[in-house]
Amino acid sequence: MKYFDRISRPSWLVTCVLIFLFSIIILNGMINDWGRASQGIGNLITFFNESLWPPDWSVLEPQAYPVCTVYPSFMDFTCSTAWIGMLETIKIAFVSTVFGTILSIPLSLLAARNLNPSWVSYSSRFFLAAFRSLPSIIWAIFFVILVGFGPLAGVLAMTVYTVGYLGKLQYEAIEGMTKVPLDASEAMGLSKFETAIKVVIPESANDLISQAIFMFEYNFRHGTVIGIVGAGGIGYYINLYLKFLQYDKVIAYLIIIFVVVLFIDFISIKARSYFTEEIDLPRSTWKSIFFPPGLNKR
Amino acid sequence: MTDIPWSTEPIIRLNDVTIGYKEKEPLVEIPNLEIFPGEIVAIAGPSGVGKSTLLKTIAGLIRPISGSVEVCGKSFPNRPNRGELGYVPQSLGLVRHASVLHNVMLGADSGHNNPIPFIGFCFPSSLAKKKAIQAINSMGLEEKINEPIRRLSGGQQRRVATARTLAQCPDLIMADEFLSELDEKTIDMVLGEVTKYVRSSNAALLVVEHDITRAKMMADRLLVIDDGRINPFITEPTAMEVKI
Ligand SMILES: Nc1ncnc2c1ncn2[C@@H]1O[C@H](COP(=O)(O)OP(=O)(O)OP(=O)(O)O)[C@@H](O)[C@H]1O
Ligand SMILES: [Mg+2]
Repeated sequence: MKYFDRISRPSWLVTCVLIFLFSIIILNGMINDWGRASQGIGNLITFFNESLWPPDWSVLEPQAYPVCTVYPSFMDFTCSTAWIGMLETIKIAFVSTVFGTILSIPLSLLAARNLNPSWVSYSSRFFLAAFRSLPSIIWAIFFVILVGFGPLAGVLAMTVYTVGYLGKLQYEAIEGMTKVPLDASEAMGLSKFETAIKVVIPESANDLISQAIFMFEYNFRHGTVIGIVGAGGIGYYINLYLKFLQYDKVIAYLIIIFVVVLFIDFISIKARSYFTEEIDLPRSTWKSIFFPPGLNKR
Repeated sequence: MTDIPWSTEPIIRLNDVTIGYKEKEPLVEIPNLEIFPGEIVAIAGPSGVGKSTLLKTIAGLIRPISGSVEVCGKSFPNRPNRGELGYVPQSLGLVRHASVLHNVMLGADSGHNNPIPFIGFCFPSSLAKKKAIQAINSMGLEEKINEPIRRLSGGQQRRVATARTLAQCPDLIMADEFLSELDEKTIDMVLGEVTKYVRSSNAALLVVEHDITRAKMMADRLLVIDDGRINPFITEPTAMEVKI
């Protein structure tokens, strides 16, 4: 802090410029042929026109095998690989979020420093950090090796990652609660277990619920990727058509994923807003974000 | 102390205690303080002098810098038995997102009246629930019983915290400014209920009250903390002989 107090405003600017220049120098050191980068745009245009566009929407048509038996026939897109893969991704995300939340709550209660002596909280944090340190796709590779291809590996991988990531969010929320309710229950002589169930969880329930919803959204986005290593979901088909160089099908899947991600994000934001805000408060309007309050009255 | 008929063992006994948050910054020295069952003792003093700190020390939430603190027959760091000690913190410590009933049930469950402990966990018994509802009614909150705390007014929240402690049926109630934010009529009601409880169950009541007139009115003894010392209020003795 002291250092920043001493340096004056212009030197702030100089510092920022220097940091930027430094990063350019590092980048330049890593790249020995800038010519390749300048060809990139041309390559992209060729690639886009010849291979990517237009998307091949046949991924929404029923697969040849197994034969689609859905009735009425306009529902037959539910036999398509896009639908089946997407649904599986959503199922994996949902199941692993539920399991992950159930497992992470006890761990985060142990990890919270305001509830436990530090040797307990640090051991629990150690596990959470370990689960979190590998991205879910690495966990997916690991579980594919253990239990074979398919959604089970996906569920296990995402559950482990969820425990690590959500656990951290949760213990931070728990540590953010005020000390007085804990003092009150300690004075009453409630046990740690009772305090956790009857005081800590209700008090931080809003945060816990909203984080679990966020985690579902996060798991869904990452779940589209883990299929690439064979852990189930829509990523399997993306990987398949990538291998066959059918990029127009790949882009169709990517567009579908994009739309569904947007939709789930929207639902998630809506759902979380019921738990993060006290509903009695007026919501801020879009206008108030961009304009000072004085301009807001009409 | 011979004129106090029920004076048996004191519920609180402090000996040469120094309180404070840091060893190097002691707040108050208490040479000797004993509080007996059935007694109502008020503590007054300027803001920031260490009144709340004294209550926290007696509640076993912070350790005394020096000296011995004995509460309900247990000396620090041992704790009183479950439910023996009732504490209304200055900032209440209610579970804001839970209902009035949930909060008061915390007290009722921790009281001695709950018989079914299970891995350190008590399931609500019907007796506990009856106690809780009774306490809520006595604080005039029967209409708010299922309302979450965050939708209550400041004074209503304060009464919930008092109800939580009453439902506990403790041997000792320590209440930190539990009458602030209330109007005269409500104060009479709350004070009446608490006094009734203390007198009828031979419990002790230790209140922090910054309003000296009211403190003198309600208490058998008034202690004033000033200049890092705790003193009996002697210029105008209350009904009882003032003595530490
Ligand atoms: N958690 C804490 N950690 C360190 N110091 C604290 C803490 N809480 C209070 N203090 C300090 O201890 C001193 C006494 O605080 P305390 O809350 O006991 O005052 P009080 O007599 O209850 O005042 P009031 O009438 O305003 O409630 C204050 O100077 C305060 O700054
Ligand atoms: Mg205070």
